[in-house]
Amino acid sequence: MPDSIMMDPRLSALLLRAEVDAFNTDYCATLDAQKLMEWVEFFTEDGFYSVISRENFDSNLPVGLIHCEGKAMVKDRAFALLKTAMFGPRYLRHMVSNLAVDPPRPDGSFAARANYIVFEVLTDRPDARILQVGSFLDEFRRVDGTLKLASRRCIYDTLLVPTALCIPV
Amino acid sequence: MAWQLAAPAGALAENQVIGVRLGETEVALYRLNGEVFATHGVCTHALAFMKDGFLENGQIECPLHQGRFDVRSGRALCAPLSRNLPTYAAETRGDEIWVDLDQPGRAAPTATPQAEPHDATRRLVVVGAGQAAAAAIRAAREAGFAGPIALVGEEPHLPYERPPLSKEALLDAGAAIPDCLDPAATSVDLHLGRRVESLGGGRVTLAGGAVLEYDALLIATGGRARRLSVPGADLRGVHYLRTREDADSIADALAKARRVVVVGGGFIGLELASAARKMGVAVTLLEQAPELMARLLPAPIGAAFRQLAESHGVEVRRGLAVQSIAQHGAALLVSTGDEFFEADAVLVGVGLEPETALATAAGCRLKAGAIAIDEAGRTSIPGIWAAGDCAAYPAPIRGADRRLESWQFAEDSGAAAGRSIAGAAPAPLRTPWFWSDQFGVNIQMLGMPLATDRVARSGACYWTADAEGRPTAIIALNDAAAIHAARKSLTIPAQARWLDEPEEPPMDTHAENRGLTLSRRYAWPAEGLTRIPDWVYTDPWIYEREVERIFKGRTWNYVALESEIPNSGDYIRSHVGPTPVVVSRAEDGSINVFENRCTHRAAEFCRELKGNVPEFVCPYHQWTYDLKGNLQGVPFRRGAAGKGGMPADFKVEDHGPRKLAVTTHRGVVFASYAEDMESLQDYLGAEVMREFEATFDGRKLVILGHYRHTLPGNWKLYHENLKDPYHATLLHTFLVAFGLLVAGNRSLMLADPSGRHGVMCSAKSDPSKIAAEDKKEMRAFHDGMKLEDPRMMDFFDEFDSEWSVTMSTIWPNLIVQREMNTLGIRQIVPTGPNEFIMKWTMFGFEGDTPEMTAHRLRQGNLMGPAGFLGLEDNEAMKFVQDGMLRVPDGEHYVALDPATPEGTSDTLISESAIRAMYRHWREVMGI
Repeated sequence: MPDSIMMDPRLSALLLRAEVDAFNTDYCATLDAQKLMEWVEFFTEDGFYSVISRENFDSNLPVGLIHCEGKAMVKDRAFALLKTAMFGPRYLRHMVSNLAVDPPRPDGSFAARANYIVFEVLTDRPDARILQVGSFLDEFRRVDGTLKLASRRCIYDTLLVPTALCIPV
Repeated sequence: MAWQLAAPAGALAENQVIGVRLGETEVALYRLNGEVFATHGVCTHALAFMKDGFLENGQIECPLHQGRFDVRSGRALCAPLSRNLPTYAAETRGDEIWVDLDQPGRAAPTATPQAEPHDATRRLVVVGAGQAAAAAIRAAREAGFAGPIALVGEEPHLPYERPPLSKEALLDAGAAIPDCLDPAATSVDLHLGRRVESLGGGRVTLAGGAVLEYDALLIATGGRARRLSVPGADLRGVHYLRTREDADSIADALAKARRVVVVGGGFIGLELASAARKMGVAVTLLEQAPELMARLLPAPIGAAFRQLAESHGVEVRRGLAVQSIAQHGAALLVSTGDEFFEADAVLVGVGLEPETALATAAGCRLKAGAIAIDEAGRTSIPGIWAAGDCAAYPAPIRGADRRLESWQFAEDSGAAAGRSIAGAAPAPLRTPWFWSDQFGVNIQMLGMPLATDRVARSGACYWTADAEGRPTAIIALNDAAAIHAARKSLTIPAQARWLDEPEEPPMDTHAENRGLTLSRRYAWPAEGLTRIPDWVYTDPWIYEREVERIFKGRTWNYVALESEIPNSGDYIRSHVGPTPVVVSRAEDGSINVFENRCTHRAAEFCRELKGNVPEFVCPYHQWTYDLKGNLQGVPFRRGAAGKGGMPADFKVEDHGPRKLAVTTHRGVVFASYAEDMESLQDYLGAEVMREFEATFDGRKLVILGHYRHTLPGNWKLYHENLKDPYHATLLHTFLVAFGLLVAGNRSLMLADPSGRHGVMCSAKSDPSKIAAEDKKEMRAFHDGMKLEDPRMMDFFDEFDSEWSVTMSTIWPNLIVQREMNTLGIRQIVPTGPNEFIMKWTMFGFEGDTPEMTAHRLRQGNLMGPAGFLGLEDNEAMKFVQDGMLRVPDGEHYVALDPATPEGTSDTLISESAIRAMYRHWREVMGI
């Protein structure tokens, strides 16, 4: 590609946004398919992951439904859900939109935000109910050229969780 | 001889009775003319304490059924008593009363003085061997009748007391039914189990041809239970009550039945219903008339009986006549035309038919459908007497000939006939008196009410009066003193209120139930607390009753942590049961809890989850409330331009929202609708308080955040889940997989003495020491399964407790979680029988290092609606409710650990704490 095009900051922002969009699409597809061990690989080794209510987030209270400090804890979560957890069968559908990507910092890391909806279908109900509505507050970093999440905080507006959150957001 | 100190002499005044307990023995002490006497403290007839009786002329009258004993001798003076009261030696030593239980009193009973015997050849034959026959034989002998007496009865038994047949005998097929005749003492020749073919002319012919000759004949043939005259009235499972055998088969049926239909809303029908409810059987009672007791009593009193039955879970349906009974699988189907009632048994109590065939054949005149007799029991045929249920009352009562099918009339008419046969004058007729025991209430009726009488009521007594306003009867519920007084003078007290319309209770709690099927009745399974019926968890009426009796009853409900409202003006929205409340801190530092409902138009005025305000303003019309919930200001209270505004007598003090009692302990805030609640210390009890204080150890709490979730299950399932240590190693394979909790762990399932609170405790142990067989039982146990980040399972021992994990269930709405170092409050907010909201408040302590806070947050992954354990609990409870809603009308089986029927257990494989909780629940709910 000619340098003049690469130099255009609008275009590089667009490319980065497209890259994050593709990342999120991939991320959602992995969770929708409940491939939880593959989901682990979206995080950096020190990656932070939490699912936290807007109530807590707005009050600077740290408690989250899920709270993982580092990829090892993310992996423990995936492993436990796959191997030990008991919950009713369900399908989930993760939808992401309204993506906003901040300009990268000199080290290539950057912040991003998006809105999300997770639909949940239980096998004995006709409806797809909204399990969560919220927003991702993300920190991305490149590891060997690939985008990884250094932090994803899923801040949900739907304060009253319906029964249980079994598959991550 | 063991004399023992019984009471200080000063405790017993002249002509007074008191009760004392000496070891295992209840003793009644009496003082007559300065002298002290002692008897056994419990009536020999039914369970009543002599100390509650009436002492008069040296006789103590039992409060329940008016039996009288001679205090000095213990002698039973009148029916229904058949056994004397044991007496004990008693004396005054200085200012103390001493009793010797091994020695009878000074005046132990002597033999009944016999009248001078006369003509020893005159022969008496008594046909019928019931209460009246026995009374006649006893009276005849006492009056000196010396000739031979033959007693012929169709039943194979000696005469026995019939009142228990509709009472205790229904609860226990083996219950002892007292005899009322001593054949040896009265020298009676018994012909029991024999039917009489004919009688008259000096001869009684028995079936089979044997003949008994008489000079005097008493007909005491009683009556038969009236049978339904509809198809199916004699099907197996349709029961009538007259004899011991009838009572036994009803007792058998009740022991097996889950639901019965009682036909007839008279005394017998109601006593049958009462026994069935006591056995935990669902009851629908069908009455043909518009009100119960309609043939006997005015409607307001019938309504009172009905409400008593309904308050004990009997479904009463009026205006329904049975059309047919049909077999329906193993059950019976009772049809009233438009409706069908399914039942395991049908119990019929529709009255008595006097047995008059023999008397009629002998030429005796009848009146009111029974044998006509005079006051001496003589029939219209010389030489033949009659008594009891087969005979009519001698004199017209209230202008008509009537039958009095009562115990007292059997006794009195029998005694009159016996005396007359012996040549003695009859005793004067007593005022009709009747008693019934039902739904735990002793009901006595003195006098002769008619259904057309007016009714006055005061307290638990009803008086009836005729058209001229003269009192005709008193009906007293659990008020023996009123009956006692009425025997002297039947007067209607001035404060009694006339009831010219049937009374309705303030809230007809069963109105919602009408029209539901029988299977939805609230009958606890006969097996007891090892079974929990589904309706406990799914029924809307049960839920409403829980809100009233539990959440708004005598309970302390968690509402907040003090750390959530540290400053004046701080508030949070919270709930007591389903009721939204505001928890606020006022200027004076006090914490206040009041309903979140504007007293003007009901608006839930406080909308934010939390905040800080100088006052609360209802947005609709700007009524304002101060931080203590007092109504402060009402806009345009005096109107505008001299017009409109509040009524002149409006006072803001009269229009504040409902305020609740508040207590706090170690930073935890509780509220109660009861204004006179006991202290939290007393409410929790010492053991539960100890665990509470181990978690809330005095350090100031720091809020780390909340979880909120709905759960489609009944709120009590959450308590049960934490009183069910059995599930911990089986459902939560995470715990087992990573070696945190195993069945062999040291553990305790604590239940407080009331059964409502509990603490599930366990101590973390070393997984390498688990016995191989325990591992096999727990399918999830994998040696060597390790977390990538094992920090989550670290335990820093920061508490003064032998347990690393405690889950406290504090009735009714609080769970305190101390799962190693992750700490939280869970508040139950029920929203109906099938769903509740859970609000979690996770906390740490002031002084926690950042690393400790981080550890608490990491460990928090165990709990909450996405926690490794928490999500499983929520899912499991949803499954339970799904199961009940989709395969309804079943019951839960909670029988683990029979060695601990209810209460604290030191094994995880136990459900004793759940049973203890339901013991309490049933008490509070009256179910």
